[in-house]
Amino acid sequence: MTLTIVSLLPRLQNTNGDAENARVLATRARWAGLDATVVEAETAAQLPPRVDAIVLGSGSDSSLDESRELLLTMHDEFRRWGTEGVPILSIGTGWELLSWGIELASGRSIEGLGILPGRSVPRANRVTGDVVVKSPRFGMLVGFENHARDYVGAEASPLGRIRAGHGNGRDSGQEGAVMGDVHGTHLHGPVLAKNPVFADRLLETMAARAGLEYVVGERAQTVDAYASAARAAQLAAAGVSES
Amino acid sequence: MRYAPAILVGRLTRFAARLRKPGGGSAVPGLVVNRIAPKYLKRTLSGFPQGLVVVSGSSGKSTTTKMLVAILRAHGVDVFTNPSTANISQGLTSALLEQADWQGRVPGDVAVLEMDEGHGALVMQGVDARVVCLTNVMVDQIDRFHDSEMVASMLARIAARAGESIVVNADDAYLERLAARVQPGVAVHRFGVTDAVLAASPRGLGYTETSDVRLSSGTDVLVETVDGASAVLDDAGASVSIGLPARGVHYAVDAAAAYATAKAVLGDRFSSSTAADALSAIPAVFGRGERTTVRGHDVEFVLVQNPASYQLNVDSIAPGTEQIMFAIGSDVRDPSYFWPTDAGSLGRVSIVSGSKSAEAALMLAYDGVEIDRVEPDLGTAVDAFLAMPAPASGVKTIVFTADAMRRTRAHLGLAGAE
Repeated sequence: MTLTIVSLLPRLQNTNGDAENARVLATRARWAGLDATVVEAETAAQLPPRVDAIVLGSGSDSSLDESRELLLTMHDEFRRWGTEGVPILSIGTGWELLSWGIELASGRSIEGLGILPGRSVPRANRVTGDVVVKSPRFGMLVGFENHARDYVGAEASPLGRIRAGHGNGRDSGQEGAVMGDVHGTHLHGPVLAKNPVFADRLLETMAARAGLEYVVGERAQTVDAYASAARAAQLAAAGVSES
Repeated sequence: MRYAPAILVGRLTRFAARLRKPGGGSAVPGLVVNRIAPKYLKRTLSGFPQGLVVVSGSSGKSTTTKMLVAILRAHGVDVFTNPSTANISQGLTSALLEQADWQGRVPGDVAVLEMDEGHGALVMQGVDARVVCLTNVMVDQIDRFHDSEMVASMLARIAARAGESIVVNADDAYLERLAARVQPGVAVHRFGVTDAVLAASPRGLGYTETSDVRLSSGTDVLVETVDGASAVLDDAGASVSIGLPARGVHYAVDAAAAYATAKAVLGDRFSSSTAADALSAIPAVFGRGERTTVRGHDVEFVLVQNPASYQLNVDSIAPGTEQIMFAIGSDVRDPSYFWPTDAGSLGRVSIVSGSKSAEAALMLAYDGVEIDRVEPDLGTAVDAFLAMPAPASGVKTIVFTADAMRRTRAHLGLAGAE
């Protein structure tokens, strides 16, 4: 039994290294003694028969239409994964494309796949910088945000509350959107490596669905000490305590 | 006479800055002159008899600029150029002041400037260039340049200042699109690599988007083959053998860029053999693969500036190199964009340091690299690394970002820490 993690559209949707979260999941699964593999899929035809988790990273605005066309060919699969409880992590424009839609500054709208509630709307200025989010499921999350749009309509089911940074904006005080095991977030880059609790919750779900048990591996504990140090530096800079 | 008072004030400021920090260069005199004589920079840059040549792009602009200057000088042209650390407005003015007479006039037939892609668009407002050479579009510090579109649009603004020609990397799809929109009357010259050279780089050349087709032999300057630190260029069908300052396809591409730009600048005066000799005589580029002796050890310094150079440089570290130190400094605000790279070939790293040491260690660990020690304090880490007995295989190798490089060199009392 091999856990299969799909990295979706890595060619277009890996601007900030977000797609590497697929590798983080597979690596942690292997450290726990489980078989795991990452399959990169640019089209529906490249999807493997069994899917245990999906990672969809962020791209640039110029690739929104192209990525949307590709994702639309997997619309049924997305609905099924969402219903069946396959963990999905979507980041930045990847998340926006799974939402109800994207309103561009030009006035044009792009219809999303409607997998996650809410839509993204333009903001006056791009925000970039550290983010700290207190999540009821995953504890204190740290990351980096870089986006030119806010997100509205996820007020009933955010990933967590903002402790530092902007997040969804529009004075919501919230970050991200969650629906079952489908997650959308602005937290760019290796969010699962920096937030091992987040990674491990997803891995526990994946393992349980596959009839396996996930116990954090020994190597992960060594590596998580680096994550702890990185988190401590970021939390200190943001003036937020870990608890 | 117009600028004599401003030049005098700039000189006095420079004198004061040197009293404060002996031996150091400073951007402060430039800042002062830009404030009291805001048109000085534009007028001086536009005033060279054979015009202004600008080199910009995400990566390779320092090397390309050095190569271009060497080729032009070998042709007997008197060139004014800026040190690569002075590629933004106040630094440029400071560099001009270094050479200026009391009226602010700077000697030289032609100016060749390396221009920061972020500040260049602003500096170039109102400045007329003859030739603009663009190297490539890569995503650099992600929090500074949010995406490739932004880099490309800034380069387009610099390119729009070219009155005679632009020289672009034909393998970079962003630059090809930019070249398609050049104003009427402005010529487009191209350089690039052959299919075989591209195929020999399994990870590609690092451009955000590589063009679908290569240039064909005949009209432009092509990198035909690369063999270690030597390469063969195809200049409109004729083979030109050159030596490179170090191993690597990216140096060959930089050489092709400089060669093509020199051709555009010199026209009929250009000699391919003079250019080839000048390129082959260029010493190793500072910081990248630089070998030096420190505290009785051979040490190799490897500078990484963006994911592409990181991958190329990591791949070029000999397998089995026993002692490697990694230092990522505060110049990398968020290392996320380095994650698509793979440093797994290193196997083991002795020390990870710098203000982003924890994030660097995390990234290396997920690449499967074993880490012996994480020491955020760079001075402590450098001392500990150099105190280790000489390695049984390979040389002590320090991989660092620009900020960590400056701090390391300052700590060791080496030149070029500024």
